[in-house]
Amino acid sequence: MTKLKAWFKTIIFYEILVGMKATLSHLLHYKPITLQYPHEKRALPDNYRGMLALLRYDDGTEKCVGCDLCEAACPSRVIRVVSAEVPGEPTKRYSKEYYMDMTRCLFCGMCVDACPVDALGMTREFEWAVYDKRQLHLNKEQLLAIGDRSFPVREKRLELQHPNVAFFNVSFGHVPQKPN
Amino acid sequence: MTELSLRLAVSLAQIAAVMGVVMLTVMILTLAERKVLGWMQDRMGPMEVGPYGILQPIADGLKLFFKEDIVPAGANKFMFSLAPILAMVPALIGFAVIPFGPSNKFELFGITVEPFVISDINIGILYILAFASIGAYGIILGGWASNSKYSLLGGLRSAAQVISYELNVGLAIVGVLILAGSLSLVKITEAQSGGFWHWYVFALPAPQIFAFVVYVISAVAETNRVPFDLPEAESELVAGFFTEYSGMRFAFFFIAEYANMVLVSCVAAAMFLGGWNAPYPGTILEHVGLGQFAWAENIAWFTVKAYLFLFLFFWLRATLPRLRYDQLMKFGWKVMLPIALGNIVVTSIAVYLFPR
Repeated sequence: MTKLKAWFKTIIFYEILVGMKATLSHLLHYKPITLQYPHEKRALPDNYRGMLALLRYDDGTEKCVGCDLCEAACPSRVIRVVSAEVPGEPTKRYSKEYYMDMTRCLFCGMCVDACPVDALGMTREFEWAVYDKRQLHLNKEQLLAIGDRSFPVREKRLELQHPNVAFFNVSFGHVPQKPN
Repeated sequence: MTELSLRLAVSLAQIAAVMGVVMLTVMILTLAERKVLGWMQDRMGPMEVGPYGILQPIADGLKLFFKEDIVPAGANKFMFSLAPILAMVPALIGFAVIPFGPSNKFELFGITVEPFVISDINIGILYILAFASIGAYGIILGGWASNSKYSLLGGLRSAAQVISYELNVGLAIVGVLILAGSLSLVKITEAQSGGFWHWYVFALPAPQIFAFVVYVISAVAETNRVPFDLPEAESELVAGFFTEYSGMRFAFFFIAEYANMVLVSCVAAAMFLGGWNAPYPGTILEHVGLGQFAWAENIAWFTVKAYLFLFLFFWLRATLPRLRYDQLMKFGWKVMLPIALGNIVVTSIAVYLFPR
C-alpha cells in the first residue's frame, strides 16, 4: 500500500506540486522584504558604528590631547597622530596633525574605547563611497568637520582644564567638506 | 492593383500585426518574468524605471541597442553573426500558422482574407516542429563559433537536450493528430469547439491528459527554461551558449528564447486547450446578439490560455532547481518517451474502437 502510495505520488509529481504551492502562496501573500535603498533607508541600530570623527567641547576647543593611544589601539593602523606641545605651555599637549586612512578602517571602535578624553566618536554616517581613494585619507580638519555635523550637542568643558588650549582651533569654516 | 500585389499587401499587413503583437508580448514577458519571480521570492522586481518599473523593457532594449558589439578573438565571425539570426527567425516564423481567432473570412477587393491566421497550411504543426528544430542550430552554432569552452559546452548540451525532447513533443501531439485527423492547426482548433469537454485534454474517447503533461514538460525543456536550462546554466557555464554575445546579438538570442516560449504556449493552447474556443459552447457575445464581435471574445480566450502557460513557465522557474545532466537524459528517454508512445497506442485503440 505504501509502495502504491509512493508510486502515485511520483506519478502526479507530488513534491513538485508542494513546491509550486509554496511559491504560489508567496505570490498571493506578497509582502516584500526589500528596502528601496536610496529612496528609503533602514533604521540604524543605536550602537551603529559608522564614520569616525573628532569631537570638540562646547566652547569650540578640540578634545584631543595628542596622547597617541588611539594609534596604539588601532588594529589596522588607520590612525596617525603627530603630537606637539601647546606653544607657551609645556605641560599641555595637543595633536598637531591627525590623519585617518579610512580605506583600511574596519570600524571596530577600539580607538573610541581607547581615548581617555572621549575625543573620538563614531557617527551614523555610512554613505562614504568616493570615486578617488585619496578622498578617504582624512586629515584633522576633515575629521573635526565630520564631528561638527554629526554631534551638534557638545560636551561641556570641565572647569579644571585650561582654556588656553583653545587658541589654535577656533573654527574651521574653510575645511574641506565630505565629497558629494 | 493586381490581385497578387493585393494579396502580398494583406499578408504583409498580417505579418506586421502578428510580429508587433509577438514583440510586444516578449517585452511584457521580460518584465513579467522578473516581476513574478520577484514576487514569488518576496522581492519587488524592477522598480526604478517608470512607475513600478513598467518601463524596464524599454530601458533594457535601449541598453542592449547601444552596447558594444564584441566578437571574441578566434571566433568564426560569419557563424558568430549568423547564429543569433538562425535562433530568432525560426522562433518568429512559427507564428505564421497559429490561429489566434475564429476563421471568419471576408472579401476585400475581390480576395478572401482570413484575419486571424496568416496562412492556414495543411501541415501547420509539422511546419512549427521543423522550424523549432532549425532553431536548435542557432544555439549550437552560436556555442561553437564563440571559441569559448563554456559556449561550446552549452551548445553541446543544447544539441543533446533539444533532440531528446523534440522527440517527446512530436510524439505527444500525435495523439491529438489521431483524434483530429489533421495537421492544420486551424482544423485542430475548430474540432475542439463546443465547451471544454471537447478540448483534447479532456475529450472522449481518449483524453490526452498524459500527452498534455508530456508536452508541457518537453516544451519547457525545448525552450531551455528552468528546470531544464542546462545549455545556459549560469552557475556552471557562465551563460552557456551566449556567454560571448553582447549587444544586439545577445538581444536576438533573448528574443528568440521568449518568442519560443510564446510559440510553445500558443501551440499548447491550440492543440490541447481548444485554442480560441471558449470553455462553454459558443460565445457570450453571440448569445446576447453581438455575433459580429464574437471574435474579440475568442481572441481573449486564446490570450488567456497562452498567458496561463507563460505564467506556468515563470512559476516553474521560481520553484524548481536545475536538473543534473544524467537526470535530464534519463527523464527524457526513460519516462517521457514511454508515456508518449503508450499514449499513442491507447489513443489509436480508443479511436479505432469508438470512431466518431
